Parts: sequence; structure tokens; C-alpha cells
Amino acid sequence: MSSKTTIYGFLFVGLAVTLALIVAPAVYAVSLSFYQMDSFIGAPKWAGLANYAAVLQAPEFWRALVNGAIYALGSIVFQVVLGIAFALVLNETFPGRNLVRGLSILPYLLPTVVVILTFKWMVDGGIGIVTKAVEAMGLPPINWFESPGAAMASTILVSVWMWTPFVTTCFLAALQTVPQSLYEAARVDGTTAVQRFFHITLPMLKPILTVVVLLRAIWMFNKFDVIWLLTRGGPVGATENLAVLSYRRAFNLFDIGGGAAIATISFALLSVAVLVYFRVFPLEDD
Amino acid sequence: MTNDTTMTKPGGVNRRTLIKSAGALGAALAAGTLDAPAVWGQGKKTIRFLNTETSIDSIRALKVACAEYEKQFGTQIIVDSVPLDDAFTKVTTSLRGGQPYDIATFAFVGHVLLLQAEGHLMPLTELTNKHQWGPKILFPVKNEVYWYPYDYNLAWIYYRKDLYEKHGLSVPKSYAEMLKNTQTLTADGRYGSLFPIGSNGATNWLAPGFMWAEGVKLFDDKWNVTLDSADMAPRVARYLDFFAELYKTMPSGASQASFGEVLSNFSSDKVAHAAYAGRMIEALERNAPKLATQYGMTPYMDSTGKAKAVNHGYDGWVVLKTPNSDESMKFMAWFTENQYINFLHTAPLHFQPPRLDVYDDPRWRAHPLIDKHKEAVQTMRGFITDKSVILTSIDTEGPYPDLRPGKVFEGFVIPEMLQNKILKNMSSAECVKTAADRMRKLTA
Repeated sequence: MSSKTTIYGFLFVGLAVTLALIVAPAVYAVSLSFYQMDSFIGAPKWAGLANYAAVLQAPEFWRALVNGAIYALGSIVFQVVLGIAFALVLNETFPGRNLVRGLSILPYLLPTVVVILTFKWMVDGGIGIVTKAVEAMGLPPINWFESPGAAMASTILVSVWMWTPFVTTCFLAALQTVPQSLYEAARVDGTTAVQRFFHITLPMLKPILTVVVLLRAIWMFNKFDVIWLLTRGGPVGATENLAVLSYRRAFNLFDIGGGAAIATISFALLSVAVLVYFRVFPLEDD
Repeated sequence: MTNDTTMTKPGGVNRRTLIKSAGALGAALAAGTLDAPAVWGQGKKTIRFLNTETSIDSIRALKVACAEYEKQFGTQIIVDSVPLDDAFTKVTTSLRGGQPYDIATFAFVGHVLLLQAEGHLMPLTELTNKHQWGPKILFPVKNEVYWYPYDYNLAWIYYRKDLYEKHGLSVPKSYAEMLKNTQTLTADGRYGSLFPIGSNGATNWLAPGFMWAEGVKLFDDKWNVTLDSADMAPRVARYLDFFAELYKTMPSGASQASFGEVLSNFSSDKVAHAAYAGRMIEALERNAPKLATQYGMTPYMDSTGKAKAVNHGYDGWVVLKTPNSDESMKFMAWFTENQYINFLHTAPLHFQPPRLDVYDDPRWRAHPLIDKHKEAVQTMRGFITDKSVILTSIDTEGPYPDLRPGKVFEGFVIPEMLQNKILKNMSSAECVKTAADRMRKLTA
């Protein structure tokens, strides 16, 4: 078997798997958005663009779009800032560094459902360990989810807790590729640590920063599990993003077409955002 | 150095031999798999049963029953157990995938109605007609019953009898009395009550009872939304005003509380009042035996002290129209006559029988927990036999079983109405109007 045949063979397998498991379901989901269906067992009725019109007129859609943007932006900013900070610390030499590096990835390894349930029990208003600690300190109880702002902040907090290790790992790997000679030369020139960070480290991290921010933005904008398990989009829709709204519409409110229309719009919005992002932050410097 | 990949160490296995062996093993496995469904080849029937009661006891009881059936009649029953929330999706995708479940468990009449409307369900009237049933549980469609209920899942209020005695409190009959009791018992590191207010099933189940007691109806006979009508709006407003006061006696986190939090807070002596079904007593027996003799039960009450209500959840089985329908019906007839009580015993106080004959059946009453809590069981029975107790739920409101109230249920309209009042400080009138408008949109 020639190497060319092998290459085409592997390509074909990859392509077939992508078509079967990604492209076909996506096309099917988009096609559903043009039909009116109560459930997957009912006969679909052609609805044209009616689902899109209905979705775009619904205030919940715009609220979910804004919520998704706030959640994604808030999560990314904290994840990136903390991720870089932790990476800088872990890049230094200190006793037990390897152990700390290993432990730092732990929250990312935990299943989402474990993290969420743990968090919910920790802050439970009656028996939560955090609640008890706050009580013991004589402080008033913290209402983690009782107002729209607090619920969004709690959701972002959990997301930052879970995914900052991923960002840390990416930046730590990138930091190890920065030539030490650059820092040595800068030190000779009498630069401060802050100057070295902004003029050497950050520019050298730019390619990985671009990719990490893009990946986090896509994942956070589409995030379903954390929000669903933590708040189910509440209170009063304050943490409901497009992914949750799409699910609720399709599977709770018996509107498969409406749910598919929201998912399709979300996909289109993200595609446009990614295109714009790459225009503004190209991966390769000219 | 050599490129000879066939070179082996004495007595070892080389890569090629390993690949050949793996290939042979794979081929053997594939051939074995092709041969596997010998039951089909031999004409042995297999029924697929989707169960949503995921406690180990319930699964075990089902498996024992199925093994017994197979022994007696030669039909194999494969039980798949999934969380309740996944049941409808599993059933509809199995139908669409061409390998439908033959029997399934549901806890939402909307799902039963959807399947029935598409012609996927077998009528079970023949089986349900054999017994007397409690009210509002069979949900017939054009005089045919399409499911076999095994649990009422009523929600009522639990209170602490020992604390009532200590503080000289009497069982509350009105909103004002309930508030007074919960306020009195908000002390000594304990909260007065916990009723969920989040956008979840627990709130839909445990919070509206006070509203039903107040006489609120969501729809009129023609499915018009009546929540904000001249008659209903003041009732709903009274319910919201009361709930806002009740909320002040709850621990923080009521907007996130679900079934687990309600059970754990009451059974760990953190709250003095909570709503639930019989599972609460089972939880007390398991986790706080001392409290298992200290609880009292009362239905939800109205503002005047005249009306009372319970909110029902319900669970039951459906038989799907599949090539195995006849066999499934035979199994269901056998199961409901011979194994129904065994299954109920897997959650003896939680699975409240909708079949009235069961309450007098010595086999059912013989369970140690049912015997020990016979007073509670009598009260539970009273909730369905006492005609003065209003028995309803969001998803069963309206003149007849329909998907519309199901949409109100799944749209979390009532929980969000509570949240608007309690968390966003909207006026009760505005909350009612917002909820009614949302209901109209959802049911249009």
C-alpha cells in the first residue's frame, strides 16, 4: 500500500466520521428550524422562516443573547487574567513546584456535575459549609442566587474555578518557549518585572492568547451544563443563555423548530464573531 | 540493527502475531455477535421496559418481577433505568430509531398525551377498569385510559410536632396561622420553613399548594387563561403576598432549592416546615430516626382557614404500540395484578397508591414502615378521599387533560411569578399580569 493511499485512506475515515457525526447532525438541526414540531414523533409541518420570526420577536431571545455575552465575557476575562497570573507563578522555581503544577489542573479534571453539586451544597442556605463559616464569622448570609446579579456572578465564579486551570496550562506551556535570553538582555537594560511582562512576556504569549480567548469564547458562549445544573437559567431568566433557551424551547416547551432556530442563530452569530476575531487578531504576524 | 519486524524473542509474541491474533479474536467476536440474538432466532419474545424509578430497591423489584415472568411465560423483559427527565427523549428517539421501548414510565401527563395523539399508545382501560381509583389520576382521553398509575406523589406540609408542643402552637389552618408558626420557629439556628421558589420541578410541585387552597384556577372551561381575571387575580395576589412573608422565614438559597435540599434541611433539623410526599418520612427513618416520630402532616391552607389542598405529581406506566404490544399487554396485566404491591413496597411511604383497593390490602399494609406510620398513611388516604381537599397541579389544570397546562408547567410560569414577587420586588398585581401574559403566549 503506497503512502499516498494510506494518507487518502486516513483522510477518508476522518472525513466520513466528521460528516456522520458533525456535519449531518448540524444540517439536520438547521433543517428542523424550518418546521413546526411538538416532538420528534410528530409529523413535521413546513413553517418556512416563521420560527426565526417568532424567535427574533421574543424578548427572551434578546435577554438570552445579552446574558450569554455577559457570561462569556465575564468568564473569559477572569479566566485569562487569573490563568496568566497562575502560569507566571508556576513558571517560577520553588520547592514542590511539580506537585503544585499537578494540583492546579485538578478542578479542570473534575466532572462538571461534581463541581456544581459540590458548590451548591457548599453554599446551601441551611447546611452549607460556606454558609456555616459565614455565620460563624458573624456576617450576614450571602444570597448566592437570590438576585439576577448574584446568580450571574455565581455562575461566572464556578466557570472561572473550573476552567482557569486550562488557561493556566496553555500559558504555562507557552511561557516555557520564551527564550530566557530575552529576559536576560532586558535585565541588563535595567527593566522592571512589570516592563518585562508587558514588553516581552505578553507579546510572546500573543499567539496562544489569541487561540485561548477564541476557544474560551466559543465554549463559554455555548455553555450549557454549568448554567443548567446551577441555575436552570433562573432566577427569572437572569442566567439563561441561548443554549439553555434553545434546549428549554425544544424539549420543555414542545417547540423543536423554535429551539432549532435559536441554535442555528447562535451558530451563525458565533461564526461571524470568529471571522471578525481572526480579522482583528490574525494568528500569524505579517 | 534490523528492519525485520518478524523477529521474535524466544517464547515471545511479535507484533504481526499480535495483530493476527487480535484480528482473529475480532472476527470471532463479530461472528459471535451475529449469532447472539438467539432468542429471536428461537422465537423467544423480548420486551423492552424503560424504568425511571432509579432507586436500587425499585430496580431490583422490577428485575425480580421480570425474571419471574420470564420463568413462567418465557418472555424476556429487558429493563433500562434512566432518570425521569430523560424518559420522554429516550422514548421518542427509540420510536424514531425504529427500536421503540414497549413499556415506559412517565410522570407528566403531557408526554402521555403527545404519544397518544400520535397513535403510539395502547389503551389500558381494560386493566384500569378492574379497580377503583382515586380522583384525578387516570387522565382519560375520549373515555380511554392510556396509562397505569402507581403513585399519586401528593405534596403536603410537614411540621415539627415537638416544636409545636414546646411553643404551644396549633396546626395552621390559614395563611396567618402558618406565618405565625413559621415566624415563631425561626430561632435557635433553625429556620421556620423551606419551600422552593426556583425555576425547577420542585417549585412547580411544592409551592403552588397554597394557591390551589385559595381557589385559584389557571383556565376556564374553554381554556381561556383566568389567572388575571377579576375573580382570580385577588386570590393570586393574596397567595403572593403570603409567600413573600413566608420567604422571610426560609434559609437563603430557596431559589436554588430542589428535592434534595428540602429533604435534607427538614431531616437535619434546619427548618421547621417543609413540603413533600411520603419520601420525607422515609428520609427521616433513614437519616434522623428521632425526628421520625416528631413530624406532623397537614394540607396546604388558604387565607381564610376554610379551604385546604394538596398538589399531586403522579407516576405511571404506558404500553407503546410496537410489534410486541400483545405481549406487553399480557405482561402489564400480570405485573399489575401480581407485582404491583411488591413494586409499591420499594418506596413504601412515597409511592402513594392511586388504586383504592391497595389501602385495604393486608399485603400492602404488612410492610413495617406502612404499619409503623399507619396514622400518616391514613392521613394520606384522606387527602384523596376527603372531597373537601382540593387536589390539583399546574400540569393537570383545565377542563380536561391537555398539553397546554403542561407548557405552563414546563415554562416555569408559577415559579417565575414567585421570583418576580420575592426576588424582584414586583407588585403582586404586576406579577399576576406578567404570569398571565406568559401563559397566554405559551398556550397560544
